[in-house]
Amino acid sequence: MPFRNVFDEALSVWAPIAAAVFFVVSVVLLGAIALNRVKRREKLPFEASKNTPVELGYVVVLGIIVGGLVFGSFLWNSRLHNGVGLAQAQVTTPAARINVTAYRWCWDFNYQAAPVHVTGQCTVGDFPTVVVPAGQPVEFNLTSDDVIHAFWLPDFAVKRDVMPDHVNTLRLVFPHEGRWRGRCSEFCGTHHVTMDFFVRVVSPEQYQQFLHSGGTAV
Amino acid sequence: MTATADRPAPVEPVASPGGEPGSIVGWLASTDHKRIGLLTLGTALVMMVVAGGLALTIRTQLAQPQLHVLTNDRYDQFFTIHGSLMIYMVMTPFAIGMGLYLVPLQIGAPNVAAPRTTMFSFWLYVTGAVVMLSGFFTDSGAADHGWYAYPPLATGRFTPGQGVDLWIVGVALTGLGMLIMAGTVLWTALLKRAPGVTMLRLPVFSWSVVASNLMVIGAFPSLLAAVGILAIGRVRPDLFTHNAWNIGYQDVFWFFGHPVVYVMFFPYVGAIAEVIATFAGRKFFGYKFFVVSQLLFAALSMSVWGHHMFTTGQSSNYYFSLTSIALVIPAGIEYFDLLATLVGGRLRFPTAMLFGLAFIPQFLIGGLTGIMAGTPALDYQIQDSYFLVAHWHYTLAAGSLFGLFAAVYFWFPKATGRMLREGLGKAHFWLWFVGTNLTFLPMFWLGFHGMPRRIPTYLPADGFTTENLISSIGAALLGLGAMVFIVNVAESLGRPRYAGADPWQGHTLEWATSSPPPTFNFSARYPIPPVHSYAPLLDLRREREQVRSAVE
Ligand code: HEM
Ligand SMILES: [Cu+2]
Ligand SMILES: [Cu+2]
Repeated sequence: MPFRNVFDEALSVWAPIAAAVFFVVSVVLLGAIALNRVKRREKLPFEASKNTPVELGYVVVLGIIVGGLVFGSFLWNSRLHNGVGLAQAQVTTPAARINVTAYRWCWDFNYQAAPVHVTGQCTVGDFPTVVVPAGQPVEFNLTSDDVIHAFWLPDFAVKRDVMPDHVNTLRLVFPHEGRWRGRCSEFCGTHHVTMDFFVRVVSPEQYQQFLHSGGTAV
Repeated sequence: MTATADRPAPVEPVASPGGEPGSIVGWLASTDHKRIGLLTLGTALVMMVVAGGLALTIRTQLAQPQLHVLTNDRYDQFFTIHGSLMIYMVMTPFAIGMGLYLVPLQIGAPNVAAPRTTMFSFWLYVTGAVVMLSGFFTDSGAADHGWYAYPPLATGRFTPGQGVDLWIVGVALTGLGMLIMAGTVLWTALLKRAPGVTMLRLPVFSWSVVASNLMVIGAFPSLLAAVGILAIGRVRPDLFTHNAWNIGYQDVFWFFGHPVVYVMFFPYVGAIAEVIATFAGRKFFGYKFFVVSQLLFAALSMSVWGHHMFTTGQSSNYYFSLTSIALVIPAGIEYFDLLATLVGGRLRFPTAMLFGLAFIPQFLIGGLTGIMAGTPALDYQIQDSYFLVAHWHYTLAAGSLFGLFAAVYFWFPKATGRMLREGLGKAHFWLWFVGTNLTFLPMFWLGFHGMPRRIPTYLPADGFTTENLISSIGAALLGLGAMVFIVNVAESLGRPRYAGADPWQGHTLEWATSSPPPTFNFSARYPIPPVHSYAPLLDLRREREQVRSAVE
């Protein structure tokens, strides 16, 4: 799961940093309160209302931290778009190209390679299921017939807006076979809440069968 | 040293412009910045009660799977108006209104510049709020497109009701009102300062108002442009069949939308700086760094809007990620100065201080998760999920709103001459401290596990039930806390305990005059003391102590 991998990596770097910052600030805060309670001091521990060298030094430290964070953000972003993991999807021709059209309030999936069309009502028991091959690059071309929607696969940390008069292209490699839920995440009106779909990942052979049978046999 | 606590507030026999001071007309046509300020603040608090009621209804509906307290469309109206009120009618007007009330006092000015224009801006604001809310009384109900009203959804084609028209007019009126009010307060701070009050002796709070109002001047015209575009789309929805107009709207809107979240932050952090310095009994640490960082913050804030649009695929990931993460520098300096003031102090813990202290770790959670949202690889997961709902409520509700209450508990005695009850205040604080974290912490998990925002219900099989229930219980505590606060205000006004001029041993000029201050703020009886720094009253107190110890 290339997206998920980059997401997990970014999170595993970022979460400890955030936790450390939160910890330090909390300790200083609670420490100040505790110390104050222990001894009702007559004299202030330090009277100074400024300390320029310390603050300048601190600004430099902040600058370095920001540099690191920006570097991380750039690195992960470039991986998402053309680096490790997705590189496959970028350089090779996608094994599956699927035109996705969102409308109020469901989804149409049209396969470019064969006249296969998947849709549904987006009511209980009738959510569209898009079938894709495992381990091969899949391309979704996202567009909308009416308002802005968003194509979200929460289990893969992938999201792209689906806009009218515009095509957003999303290339992914699904490593395992399985079935995952996708949701619309950009508010689009009354039935936004039920605008779900499923991604079913099958073996490449099964995928070919699926295409040849016109979208029935899986 | 200070006025005794039980002496009734002195009344100054000064003619008041614009009608009998005590009458309704005296209030509604006043040209006194304190009255216009209190009207603005009071209106914002009333709007907060309405917006809070909507939020509690939302939380009731989400407490369990598949509840149907509201229909889908009503639910959509409720979150839209909750968010729109909180942003346009509560946190922003309160921030600017605090500046209107306090800045002239803090700089020793008799009144705001252009008082009639300022009064007019208040009327624009109230009218806007009423117009927006009146949407609930139309056949199709209030606006239901969310607080940023993206086209094409918000056009006449997909959301035909009058609620949207009223929303557009309401936002335009209030937006214009706030632009004007911020302008007159800024003008006052820059050009109406008393002798001795140089720019580098401006109190920390006044500086944060200056920085904040500069952002208003830069950003709010963009809001007016955005709702103007929407208004055209109401009549000609075909405009929004073109991508350029859809994405263009988002750019124009967020050019306003990001700075405004700092307008809902600066004056509150400025208030907290005053509260912490006062109750630490020392001068605010690192004044110049704080001032520079606020100006830097304000400038940078105009360059980050595209981080709201990473998922559109039509924003610049690198540029906006860089500018967004760079905000860590000014924010880090502000945190350093707040903490350094605290660590060096002899602390007291009245309610205002408790709200101020809780702000620090809570807003930090909002800030840290904000950097995540500014990192596209992470944003692709959290955007438009409950994670984001948690993030901004940590900045605005757990952060700025705590600052708002710190300010209310701190300055209420100055504005009314009466003390709020400390016992009730502390009950309010603890209910809110627990309630806020119970409400918003579980939302981080919900977002990570796939709960989109703006959904009226969910299924038992989704696995969202426990977190949502905890969140709704937290919201109930918030409701309770708010009631305690209302009782506190009623009690303090009904059975007054008089405050005296300076109940907290404050640092800035407003504490040198009576509570409430006379019409023109200072008088022969309450003259403006000499100003040699940004904490003139603290200087005076120190001098007197030195004289006293020299005599002994
Ligand atoms: C203190 C108690 C509060 C509670 C219990 C609360 C609760 C909620 C809930 C449940 C939602 C709906 C989330 C969704 O479905 O997307 C929401 C949305 C929102 N809230 Fe709050 N909130 C509170 C305070 C605030 C404050 C102080 C602000 C400050 C500006 C605020 C701004 C918003 C905004 C902008 C939205 C988004 C509306 C939209 O999606 O268009 N809230 N809130
Ligand atoms: Cu949707
Ligand atoms: Cu932003």
